[in-house]
Amino acid sequence: MSSVTFIGEHLFWGNLGHTAVVLSFISSILVTLSYFFAERNPLDKSWANMAKYAFQLHSLAVLTIIATLFYIIYSHYFEYHYAWQHSSRDLPVHFMISCFWEGQEGSFLLWIFWQMVIGQILLRSSKSWLNPVMAVLMLSQIALTSMLLGVKIFSYKMGSSPFELLRNVMVDAPIFKQADYLSKVKDGNGLNPLLQNYWMVIHPPTLFFGFATTIVPFAYAIAGLWRKDFKEWLKPALPWALVSVMVLGAGIIMGGFWAYESLSFGGYWAWDPVENASLVPWLILIAGVHVMILHKATGNSYIVAVVLILATFLLVLYATFLTRSGILGNSSVHSFTDLGMSGQLLVFLLLFVFLSIAMVVWRWKQMPRSAKDEEIYTREFWMFIGSLILIISSFQILLTTSIPVFNKVFGANMAPPADVIGHYNKWQMPMAILLGIFTAVANLLKYKKNKSEGIKKIGIYAAVALVLTIVLFFAFDLENYIYIALLFAGVFAVTGNFGILIPFLRGKIKLAGASVAHIGFGLLLIGVLVSSANKQVISINETGEALNPEFNNKENVENIYLERGKPNRMGDYIITYVRDSQHWVNTYYQVNYKKINKQGEVDYEFNLYPNGQINPKFGLVANPDTKHYVSHDVFTYVSSVPSQKASSKFINERTHEVKPGDTIYTNNAYAILMGINTNTNAEKVDINNFQVLLGAELKVYTLDKVYDAMPMYGVQNNAASSFEALVDEAKLKFNFKGVNPENKTITITTAEKDNSGDFVIMKAIIFPWINLVWAGTIVMIVGFMISIVRRITDIKAA
Amino acid sequence: MKKSSIIGLIVIALAIGAIISMYGDASTYEGFEMARNNPGKEYHVVGVLNREKEKYYNPQKDANYFSFYLLDEKGNESKVVYNNPEPADFDRSEKIVIVGSMDGEHFKADKILLKCPSKYTDDQVKTAGASL
Repeated sequence: MSSVTFIGEHLFWGNLGHTAVVLSFISSILVTLSYFFAERNPLDKSWANMAKYAFQLHSLAVLTIIATLFYIIYSHYFEYHYAWQHSSRDLPVHFMISCFWEGQEGSFLLWIFWQMVIGQILLRSSKSWLNPVMAVLMLSQIALTSMLLGVKIFSYKMGSSPFELLRNVMVDAPIFKQADYLSKVKDGNGLNPLLQNYWMVIHPPTLFFGFATTIVPFAYAIAGLWRKDFKEWLKPALPWALVSVMVLGAGIIMGGFWAYESLSFGGYWAWDPVENASLVPWLILIAGVHVMILHKATGNSYIVAVVLILATFLLVLYATFLTRSGILGNSSVHSFTDLGMSGQLLVFLLLFVFLSIAMVVWRWKQMPRSAKDEEIYTREFWMFIGSLILIISSFQILLTTSIPVFNKVFGANMAPPADVIGHYNKWQMPMAILLGIFTAVANLLKYKKNKSEGIKKIGIYAAVALVLTIVLFFAFDLENYIYIALLFAGVFAVTGNFGILIPFLRGKIKLAGASVAHIGFGLLLIGVLVSSANKQVISINETGEALNPEFNNKENVENIYLERGKPNRMGDYIITYVRDSQHWVNTYYQVNYKKINKQGEVDYEFNLYPNGQINPKFGLVANPDTKHYVSHDVFTYVSSVPSQKASSKFINERTHEVKPGDTIYTNNAYAILMGINTNTNAEKVDINNFQVLLGAELKVYTLDKVYDAMPMYGVQNNAASSFEALVDEAKLKFNFKGVNPENKTITITTAEKDNSGDFVIMKAIIFPWINLVWAGTIVMIVGFMISIVRRITDIKAA
Repeated sequence: MKKSSIIGLIVIALAIGAIISMYGDASTYEGFEMARNNPGKEYHVVGVLNREKEKYYNPQKDANYFSFYLLDEKGNESKVVYNNPEPADFDRSEKIVIVGSMDGEHFKADKILLKCPSKYTDDQVKTAGASL
């Protein structure tokens, strides 16, 4: 390289970090091989011992990488490309953590970290399964750590190091010819404003923990095939699979909540490829858990359970490939750009696909099979059908999400459906209806044999659900009768599973996990239905006239123009854009809402503060603000703001000759001259130097408020001077221009602030009963937790 | 027939249905010529902003009307109308993907995707789109 000696670089930290990366990679190979041979030679304890020490070394290396990278970001060492690209000096510390997941390398690091943590837990808990399970886990760790290597092997660059120097990334930039280039790199690129959000600090780690946990059931399944043990592995694998379902589910819904709270697309789910990519493995894992449980109860469907558990992890890898290879390109909002790792990602995916297929084929003949068909009137039958529906549902989502892949592989020219939401809903809604109903039916039945009692129960709870559905249909103001089916499915899932819950409430709450989770699912269905079916955009142009002759289509005029200070009717609200204020890099726009009741009176009022960040890199990044009520949310964001700040120009200047008691009219207010006083004690004026100083006492009345104003007039050394009074909120200016002794009047001038540049364009949506979506999810997660506790105590009891 | 065979057949039928529905609903990347020949049918059109012609957005008059001229990849031009405010960062876009259909003389865009030249991070900004 060049002979320039650069000044001011902190090379020690980069070297430390890079050494730790290489160490973590090599040690993961060592651990994998050691555990592999430990499994092959169970009598030779030295392999297992070596594996244990090598794994501790590996963990230490991983922690070192993370600490070093954080230190570099924290100290603003912008000679490192990662710090320069993803952070800046003004970033608060809690957002520095978010820098880890803005970049590809950082998010792989997060995954590596979680897999290491999981390894530590397995080391203490997996007992006789330790060797094969850790061998599989660490194989995936080899693949992940290789993504951070950033070393050239022959001409292929393997991985991308987070410790790469800025000057090595942009070799050709002339600035790097100077030894003191660092003194010119004053600040980093900064963090994407969309990530500067509280939810973005916790959503990615949760989601990645969910992704990382899917390796554990996978590893147990492989271990079972490896050992030809088709029974024992299910016991420890089941609680892990449930943990995975719980964490991944929480991670996905947090993503939805983040989108709802801080993105301006107006909703929590948009069927975006990146969202779909994390939803599909979750659905498949839920199917897998159900089949595992039914296998434990009946001994049937073993192969299906194994395949689903293996598929979950493979789908996580496929999701990683989709979102990180750049293949989604034109079709997704938040995919990463290709860092040249798509080949490596594909190898990672294919390695595990081949491993899984090979293991299944190898043990195909030995795996247990069910002798006969399930009876219809059994829990296992409907659990199985429910799982099949989850599989079909996932298949459909996966298929449409993979359109860019088909284009690449087959050279097709397909684009995602123009009406994406409609396309997915058309399939997923019927699936959801069936799922809701089957959760109740399956749980009301018993395993294996059922007497007519169970069927009678189904009838009773379905009838209760039907009555409730009709009541709720009108209570929620639903209009379309198609929604009855989905509403019924949700309500039946709640009532049916509540029926099963009752006996558990007396002391056996431990066993209630499934019913609780399914009640949550039912509530979620109801919430999704009501909040989206009755979602109402209230910022619609209601004047009834086409504002633009060229454009008479009214279907999509969902943004409202709000001039500052001018009230506007919008749905049942009168809204006023009050003022803007600046906090850190964000501008907050205060919007006042007054709820109007049927009599036309103000019921209550509240303020919302949607904000926007005019980011030099991203343009206007709008963050919504939402008023939460139990029954509905009022969601607001600014979709456009004037490109220049409003001018301070005053227009419509008028002169008025008035005496006390007279009224002065302006376009949007009037003022009454209360009197003229001489004992002014204005702060800014030095009273003593005036021969005469008069103040005009004005009461200014706008539509809803009264202000005081006092312009002044003085004579000083025979020269007259005027002191104007500004009423900022009313956007009026008064000036005292002179006195006319002959007719005992004074001259007041008024002027109005030019408002044409002072406005926001806003969109507002009402989401009814959206709290049911969040509540349903929380109940579901509680259900998963109860199940996890139960399955863990099961192992201990055995 | 065994129950499992019937269930198997239904699953296969649904899977084929999903494939057909994907093909049926999928849009295609086309130019304005194709869109003009099939008015009302929705397409994805990829192109660049024609910076010589005027882009129009006057929120005081109509906050929901934004128009501009787009050159598709074959060099054909059309006026594009978008019933929303002008997307942030529109001027910096390198490439624009519009989703919508021909409506008389202009292309009515339901969605606009911008590709901006930020080399180092997510290079897409989605500007419109419905949700569930």
